[in-house]
Amino acid sequence: MMRRYIAKRIAQAVGVLWAAYTLSFFILVLLPGDPVTAMAGQGMDSAPVDPARLEALRAEYGFDQPAPLQYLEYLGRALTGDLGDSVATGRPVTQLITEALPQTLLLTASALTLALLFGGALAMAATYSERRWVRQFLLSLPPLGVSVPTFWIGLMLVQFFSFRNAWFPAFGNDGVKGLVLPAVTLAVPTGAQIALVLAKSLSTTLDEPYIATAKAKGAGRVHVHLRHALRNAALPALTVAGLLVGALMANAVVIETVFSRNGLGRVTQAAVAAQDIPVVQGVVVYGALVFVVVNLLVDLVYPLLDPRIVLAPTRPQAVAA
Amino acid sequence: MSGQLLETGTALGLPTTPDPAQSGSRGPDPARATRRTLAFFARRPGLVLSILIVLVVVVAAFAPGVFSSADPTRGVPEENFQAPSTAHWFGTDSLGRDLFARVVHGAQLSLRATLLAVSFAFVIGGILGLVAGFVGRWVDDVIMRFVDVVLSIPTLFLSLAVVTALGYGTTKVAIAVGVANIAGFARVMRAEVLRVRTALYVEAARGVGARWYTVLGRHVLPNSISPVLVLATLEFGTSILAVSSLSFLGYGAPPPAPEWGTLISDGRNYLANAWWLTALPGLAIAATVLATNRIARALESEVRQW
Amino acid sequence: MGRTMTPALVAGLLFLAACGSGSGTSGAGGGSGEPKTGGTLTFAVGSDTGCADPQQVASNDSIYSVRQLVDSLTDQDPETGEIVPWLAESWDVSKDASTFTFHLREGVTFSDGTELTADVVKANFEAVPDLGALATLATGYLTGVKEITAEDPQTLTVAFEHPNAQFLQATSTHSLGIVSQASTELTPQERCTQGIVGSGPFTLAEYVPSQSATLKKRTGYAWGSSLWTKDGEAYLDEVVFKVLPEAGVRTGSLQSGQVDAIGNVARADEPALEASGATLQARANPGAVFNLGVNNSNPILQDEKVRQGLRNAIDRQQIADTVFNSGTEPATSILSRTTPGYHDLSAELGYAPEEAKALLEEAGWKPGADGVREKAGQKLALNLAWFANSPTNQPAVELIQQQLKDAGVAVELKQYEISQGPEVQQSGDFDLMWGNLTRADPDILRTLYSTSLANVYRVPASDLDSTLTAEAGAVDAAERKELVAQAQEAIVGNAYVIPVVELQTKLGVAARVHDLNFEASSRIQLHDTWVE
Repeated sequence: MMRRYIAKRIAQAVGVLWAAYTLSFFILVLLPGDPVTAMAGQGMDSAPVDPARLEALRAEYGFDQPAPLQYLEYLGRALTGDLGDSVATGRPVTQLITEALPQTLLLTASALTLALLFGGALAMAATYSERRWVRQFLLSLPPLGVSVPTFWIGLMLVQFFSFRNAWFPAFGNDGVKGLVLPAVTLAVPTGAQIALVLAKSLSTTLDEPYIATAKAKGAGRVHVHLRHALRNAALPALTVAGLLVGALMANAVVIETVFSRNGLGRVTQAAVAAQDIPVVQGVVVYGALVFVVVNLLVDLVYPLLDPRIVLAPTRPQAVAA
Repeated sequence: MSGQLLETGTALGLPTTPDPAQSGSRGPDPARATRRTLAFFARRPGLVLSILIVLVVVVAAFAPGVFSSADPTRGVPEENFQAPSTAHWFGTDSLGRDLFARVVHGAQLSLRATLLAVSFAFVIGGILGLVAGFVGRWVDDVIMRFVDVVLSIPTLFLSLAVVTALGYGTTKVAIAVGVANIAGFARVMRAEVLRVRTALYVEAARGVGARWYTVLGRHVLPNSISPVLVLATLEFGTSILAVSSLSFLGYGAPPPAPEWGTLISDGRNYLANAWWLTALPGLAIAATVLATNRIARALESEVRQW
Repeated sequence: MGRTMTPALVAGLLFLAACGSGSGTSGAGGGSGEPKTGGTLTFAVGSDTGCADPQQVASNDSIYSVRQLVDSLTDQDPETGEIVPWLAESWDVSKDASTFTFHLREGVTFSDGTELTADVVKANFEAVPDLGALATLATGYLTGVKEITAEDPQTLTVAFEHPNAQFLQATSTHSLGIVSQASTELTPQERCTQGIVGSGPFTLAEYVPSQSATLKKRTGYAWGSSLWTKDGEAYLDEVVFKVLPEAGVRTGSLQSGQVDAIGNVARADEPALEASGATLQARANPGAVFNLGVNNSNPILQDEKVRQGLRNAIDRQQIADTVFNSGTEPATSILSRTTPGYHDLSAELGYAPEEAKALLEEAGWKPGADGVREKAGQKLALNLAWFANSPTNQPAVELIQQQLKDAGVAVELKQYEISQGPEVQQSGDFDLMWGNLTRADPDILRTLYSTSLANVYRVPASDLDSTLTAEAGAVDAAERKELVAQAQEAIVGNAYVIPVVELQTKLGVAARVHDLNFEASSRIQLHDTWVE
């Protein structure tokens, strides 16, 4: 049973990657605008008004062939791990991205950790408190967190913690100190989401009869909150955290530019500006890859926490609306 | 970007699969309804404030002259970098332009882009969901697999791909954001159509031999649209954020157009000496998003109670 | 790819540049204490053209780093403009300025261990025309070359078809910095991404496009320019150039001590930087001032009166005072006043809004309902291409847009990446283009406006061509000055281009940094620089 479940989830993940590749291919190559002209204009080897060169480029990139053929050829190469070469720098796309990705993943992971810690703590505190105004105040924070532009939070933090008080560096990839501000910035919207979900499922769980039973048996409030309620309420929060990884990665791209950090954000921005189609496509595929892998892990961890899941045909499509 | 963030909220609270048992309407009674409405708002001052904020922003978007007579693209260079004062509520920028006027006029660009983005996603996603749910069978399978894929690509990346293909500009950014949000609408629409399709009155209409388009237009669509509209309100807030992120990255209208994201990005060069250039436009965005989200939540709980 | 390059493609990348003769260079922080050897200097720049080859870059931010990798045949004294020995111990110039013979220094090696010989220099110069679109500066300097001969390992002769008086100064620029034989054999793109091997005081340890360039001291370096104060190796062990696109972040980082020096200080940040103890170092750049390059083939702009109208509608003083760093002067010619041969044309470059309107009226452009002028149903609407490689560019073009609007001209701003520059220029897909080009020689005018070269601005053939050709062959200084003055009058009078403000390079330098000097082109020389 378990093995079949895992095999099925992996097959789905592969399917999603294939489809992400396909979708980005069609957006980038088939939308209006001639990719070759766009490419020829940029990079260091440009002599763009030369029609012969355009033809040569078309042939080189296979754009002189009908779209389905192009697609098959590209897909074939992608299957061997070759996403083509950057038009602007001439370097292999996979190399460009895998060089930049660790920095972005580090940032994303740090932010997710902070978000889980603070989002979780906020939800716990809000549901634990018996004072109405404390609850209301704490519960009003997450909606605020999801409404503020992330890049703006970053700029405000830089202003205060780097420029006014030189506590943390305003830019760069140097050490843990350089990671603090961007990670905190990124953690705000994600933490707010997690707090929203967890608070909701905590309060639902706390209303369950077995909680009352536990209390009646003389268990302390802290014990009930941590042992019983959190354990059950954590499941939806875990799912949400997995689904938030995609948004987190995307936000990281923006935040990296705010903090002048090296990473996927720089690569992406340069590629969009230069209409470097292979790189943009690579970024989309890698974005989907990270998302899929993380959610695959969540799916695999899920049955360990809640054995009932395996019996269900697929995980409830809860969150992804 | 944060597209998926809020949607999570939706899915976990919301109307993706409302309980049909709760549907049904009460008899109308104008006086009682008015009293109930007033009481409803009196208990929710935050909601009232949110509605006021949204009204202000909407007026700013369609008649910016009401709030500011200053020209957003013209300044007095000698009066640049003035801190907020009674003459310039939000201060002035590097060319002496009135920042308040720029934020007000920026509402026009940013809100229009957002409106376009949401409508685009609403229409295309809605049609996809409607077809999937109504036709069913393999059509449903194909569409919903497609939707699942789109959902697994971080929305910002998808938007960036579209921007790369289309180029820069307010409208293009709006379409990029819209494309990335199609999937959410398709999913909700389909769920609603499936729910309504099996409802008694639809079965009844079919039973008396109504044509498919009559069933669709008269029964299915009207009864399944409201959760999708709620989603649209929720999406409005996230789309404002997505649109401003893209214009912050420099993919919006060329200067001197005062898009909200662009204003923040321009102000970034003067973080050290003119805090208001980044801080105040950011607050404007935050207030608008917060207000639309608050309204969306209220709508959402109303729809659930039907 | 795209490596064939006709001489006609040679023209000026406008952008930030800097070459300079004239105003003084001063080390930052004065000369307190004894210079120390060792240490790292971190320098933040705003952009990167994605290329680590001095022969192919034209933007200051890139030149700052790659200039340190190579030596040139000659150097130019920033104070006097005089050409002095560097890799060439001496040289002879033929009477008609068409043949140049250089006598190279012995014992110079590249960092890959190979020796500098006349053959290597020949290989360098011969490879230049194949470099392609990015190497417009270097290609321009060598246009019309007839024969390059290595007489013996230490003697090189460069012969041109026509007199080419500018060539000697050209050999002092970064664009003709000498790379190793192996580097000349790479493709232009490889040279960009891998970087080149030079004989300079620093070597390229790591280059990450758009992110950073790390330079290490070249041990055993002993052939510095005759202008440098320190003999032998550089003081610094390491120099790190970081790309920080946001001006605010650069400023904040210098204030908080995260970097030691920044390029491109904005006016708004000057007080804060000075208060934090940093030194602001400024040097006016010689060459073509910041200008609106006019696409003279555009049907609207073919009309001289329209161009002159635009010229008179610009309030240069306001732009200099609002946007640029303090001390920036409005343009008084197409050449800045620190350029040899500068000719004062301030009378034609004053702010004359009424005259501007009259000229546009004469040309048939009448005010329309929305304030934009019209003629035969057509709007007087122009696009203005600009590059986001300097924080001053956007406010500058926005202010110009506002000023031209007052004259009834609608201007649409089109932003490009710095890497797109060559394409925009070659395709001619612009009406106006914002930029400058720094060079401490008036021949810059020929590079930019001669119809026999790239002619990016599509200037019509006229007497200007013969004036520029004559200038290039004028060996007599007085005669050359006269010709250059004529050329400036023709360019400004016909408004083939609209001069706006002079560029003044302003660096912010932390107090711990000493002797960060400007070289003749207002770029930096780091051999003599030391840190506490």
